[in-house]
Amino acid sequence: MSTITPTIAAPAPVSLTWRRLKDFPLIPTLILLLIAFVAIFADVLAPYDPQIGSLARRFRPPFWQEGGSMEYLLGTDHVGRDVLSRLMYGARVSMIVGLAAVLVAGALGTFLGIVAGFLGGWVDQVIMRLTDTWLALPALTFAIFLAAIVGPSELNIIIILGGVYWTRYARVIRGEVLSLKEREFVNLAVVAGCSRAKIMWRHILPNVINSAIVLATLMLGVVIVTEAALSFLGVGVPPPKPAWGLMLADGKKGLMVGYWWLTVLPGVCIMLMVLSANLLGDWLRVKLDPQLRQL
Amino acid sequence: MKQYIARRVGYSLLSLFLLSLTIFLFIRLTGDPAALLVEPGASAQDIENIHRRLGLDRPLWEQYWLFVASFVQGDLGLSFYYRTPVLDLYLQRLPNSLLLAAVAMAFSLLIGIPSGILAAVRVGRMWDSAGKMFALLGLSLPSFWVGLVLILVFTVWLGWLPSSGAGTAAHVVMPAFALGWYFAAAHMRLTRSSMLEVLGSEYVKLARLKGLPEALVIGKHAFKNALIPVITLAGINLVVMINVAVVVETVFAWPGIGRLLYEGISFRDFPVVQGVVVIGGAMIVLVNLAVDIVYALIDPRIRLAR
Amino acid sequence: MGSSGGRSSRLPGALSRSRAAQQTTVLHLNRRQLLALGGFAALAGGGLDEALAATPDGQLTWAVHVSLAPTWFDPAETPGMITPFMLLYALHDAMVKPMPGKTAAPCLAETWKVAPDGLSYEFTLRDGVKFHNGEPVTAEDVKFSFERYRGTSSSVMKARVASVETPDARTVRFVLKKPWPDFLTFYSSATGAGWIVPKKYVEQVGDEGFKKAPIGAGPYKFVSFTPGVELTFEAFEGYWRKKPAVKRLVLRVIPEEATRLAALKRGEVDIAYSIRGELAEELQRTPGFTLKPVVIQGTFWVYFPEQWDPKSPWHDLRVRKAAALAMDCKSISEALTLGHSKIVNSIIPYNFDFFWQPPPAVYDPKQARALLAEAGFKSGFDAGDYYCDASYANVAEAVLNNLQEAGIRVKLRPLERAAFFSAYAEKKLKNLIQGASGAFGNAATRLDAFVIKGGAYAYGNYEDIDTLFAQQAVELDQKKRTELLHKIQQLMHERQVYAPIWQLAFINGQSNRVKESALGLIEGHAYSAPYEDVAINKS
Repeated sequence: MSTITPTIAAPAPVSLTWRRLKDFPLIPTLILLLIAFVAIFADVLAPYDPQIGSLARRFRPPFWQEGGSMEYLLGTDHVGRDVLSRLMYGARVSMIVGLAAVLVAGALGTFLGIVAGFLGGWVDQVIMRLTDTWLALPALTFAIFLAAIVGPSELNIIIILGGVYWTRYARVIRGEVLSLKEREFVNLAVVAGCSRAKIMWRHILPNVINSAIVLATLMLGVVIVTEAALSFLGVGVPPPKPAWGLMLADGKKGLMVGYWWLTVLPGVCIMLMVLSANLLGDWLRVKLDPQLRQL
Repeated sequence: MKQYIARRVGYSLLSLFLLSLTIFLFIRLTGDPAALLVEPGASAQDIENIHRRLGLDRPLWEQYWLFVASFVQGDLGLSFYYRTPVLDLYLQRLPNSLLLAAVAMAFSLLIGIPSGILAAVRVGRMWDSAGKMFALLGLSLPSFWVGLVLILVFTVWLGWLPSSGAGTAAHVVMPAFALGWYFAAAHMRLTRSSMLEVLGSEYVKLARLKGLPEALVIGKHAFKNALIPVITLAGINLVVMINVAVVVETVFAWPGIGRLLYEGISFRDFPVVQGVVVIGGAMIVLVNLAVDIVYALIDPRIRLAR
Repeated sequence: MGSSGGRSSRLPGALSRSRAAQQTTVLHLNRRQLLALGGFAALAGGGLDEALAATPDGQLTWAVHVSLAPTWFDPAETPGMITPFMLLYALHDAMVKPMPGKTAAPCLAETWKVAPDGLSYEFTLRDGVKFHNGEPVTAEDVKFSFERYRGTSSSVMKARVASVETPDARTVRFVLKKPWPDFLTFYSSATGAGWIVPKKYVEQVGDEGFKKAPIGAGPYKFVSFTPGVELTFEAFEGYWRKKPAVKRLVLRVIPEEATRLAALKRGEVDIAYSIRGELAEELQRTPGFTLKPVVIQGTFWVYFPEQWDPKSPWHDLRVRKAAALAMDCKSISEALTLGHSKIVNSIIPYNFDFFWQPPPAVYDPKQARALLAEAGFKSGFDAGDYYCDASYANVAEAVLNNLQEAGIRVKLRPLERAAFFSAYAEKKLKNLIQGASGAFGNAATRLDAFVIKGGAYAYGNYEDIDTLFAQQAVELDQKKRTELLHKIQQLMHERQVYAPIWQLAFINGQSNRVKESALGLIEGHAYSAPYEDVAINKS
């Protein structure tokens, strides 16, 4: 967030020995793997088409509640679509949107961060002023703008979220590059006559990739939650696509009237995913990059 | 030093210029405000009248020039929707936003700092993870959902707190919590890592060697020093909160700036959006500038490095 | 959405609700007699205790769904939408305005007459009517209010009105350039031109000052306004029609629907606007609360912008008919608006002038599939995109279900409201469009925008319809004009230019504290009005 650039020593080379795996967050990892599994095999696992329902069977409760049936295990939503199927396909949509957005943000931010940090001078100034400007635009504002201009679709949401969050990478990575630049191996490479592009690609990038990965796990949560907020404001993943954030926003009215499964279930899914990603990210941060703290 | 400050101020102004231009062009790409001030199906003449009244019939460069020229004089123009000066609208809502952000910040620090210290000191695994989980939970739940659950529990079921609006202390509790909880995790993480750093430093080791009780070492020596970066981040986050509160403000009908901005975008109220974003941007740029200068004063190397 | 102008009283419901008798009988009374009459009017309108209430008492609070803008305090700036009338009915009064059971009820104007040549309208002001500051309402104020009017349709009106004459303090004559049968429609309900502001006061404080402290001739006085929070009115005891029963009215802005429901349930507000779908169902189940649905003049439809393209499947009438047959509008209305939205089967609101009632909408998925098969799409077809305003994506989702069932596979593309209407008007959308309009006017104005060549939202046109439309535009004989417009609507129905969905019901909730919310008293008006009729249960 700030322009404070912590002086960061280059990370020590990482070797994932058993000692390091001691407090590995097993449960969060399993949860993420489970979500990924469901996302990949949603076609096989989901009992119904997630996008088609019938008004005649709307608001059926989950099977254990009165009025529920084994036919629709987790109930149906406001247009009579099967909630379980939507959650399963929703895992896919949310995973794709989350990962892709983080990838877009990460690629863009890391690239600009390396270029700014390594080249310095006016390139650095332009890029940093650009990130300043970007940060001054509230993320949601910017997302609403983009949504209004390009119209909502899964792809556009990815672009929007990536376009909003790349600045975090740019700042952190730039800070790291600034200190890496002073290191022996970079000087050696310069002396050896490597081109600047080659140095950035071969020597700088591998040394900042750890930070980028840590950031990515932490950003995954931020992106998923922002996606839900966008749906709440009506500019998220367009219905009838099943995305967890959209389901949560769609079901928000149900919360007040006892249709709890419409919000609680996707809410729990989001929570599990974000919490797991964060716990994993925290662990990775400690293991890979103990010094990194501007997150 | 003077040169450094002058350069930083120059860059800040450049950022603001870029921001104003970006917002000016972006908002104009999002559609015609006249389409929202009338029902679809209104006559072309009505729409033309509206364009003229709002000054949208003028060339783009002229509109931008007017915006910048009056902005410099402290005039943000008239809102399209409210037809009152944007500055008035902003100032009316600023106290609400500041109040919300301040109380939210208090909540977030109240959750974040203790859980961060516990995580760093590791008094016991259970406490450590309980605090951490609670802070992370705030990050994992969309704030509109948290807000609606709060309303359901504290308004509909228990009847303790008013559902929405502003005015009394009771009004601010739920929105501030919903907003603050989200930021708690960031403060927890920073507290933890700066605590760890301080605990590993020479003078804390020295204090321990001197045989001071552990509680005193942590409570007095370590905590005080670890707090500085947390406070810095909190200061920046306070500004960020004002700008990101839109979702919470919508749920609780809190008359703050986030809501003003969101409505500005929905109604394509160009002057409101421009004004709010540029003022918000100016605040962030100013805070950054102040931080930079203070750090440069403390550490001369920074000055030379840039 | 919607407007104040339900101008036709064709519906039996409208007649049974009629309680406008008192208005035409008020003639040349002094102030005391007027007050007595106010009591009489209340008796006719509400009940005994209301009439006996000596002074206005208590407070009613509304939860309003939109942000209130000070520009709505000034009738001169009335835009072409219904929302400002939420405030105008409290603060101001009009010469002639829609009232319960009457679309053009005499208010500040006691009587009016049209010159035989149709070239002038002469209004006589009610005697002894005063603004909130005690100044009398005079002909000068009427002339001033008309001349400063700059809201919707102001150019149309000013182009047709040659002059406004004020022979004496109680007489105003509007002289037209040529006969204009729609003058009264525009003056009384389609614009804000007939709402009267005090000339002296406005000139004294200026336009900006007026918005900060508006003064009018309505039943309620302005007390305070906190933008984005709430607006407070206080009863104006000198109101001519009757003394308001409730002392204070408070309009609180709560944008989130679920929060409005919570506020209503906790008793923070007495009336909550726009409670839809499952929230409305919940309210219906909750003892102590009542639903108040109001059908407004917002119609919804599915448009086939490619019907003029011979290469498109939508060029085939059978495919368009199939789409219309596949749509189960009644069930959609039941699910989303508890069955209160009206299935009019037209894009023109049933309470508009020159409305032609098409045969009832039919839901027949079997027949739809048969028609599709006949058209060569035995196993259905991929129909591309279905565009809609994101705020009505719930309607779209339901329609989509229906279309899928019949084999018309479409992809939903909800666009944010401003973007949607911009793209709609710029003719950028394709395949299917879910449109809606609550614009003021009559059948002719709707057709002009949505059907006729050159219309803002018409993606194509039919020559014969255009010819008929050109004929009606110059037709002075009301009966012949009606015939022409009916013929056009019939052709539209036969060709399935549109697949209409419904005329929207705006559903509101109220607690049992409210005796009369004045919701639905005026046909087609979405909000509480007239405010002098609202009342609290005394128990």
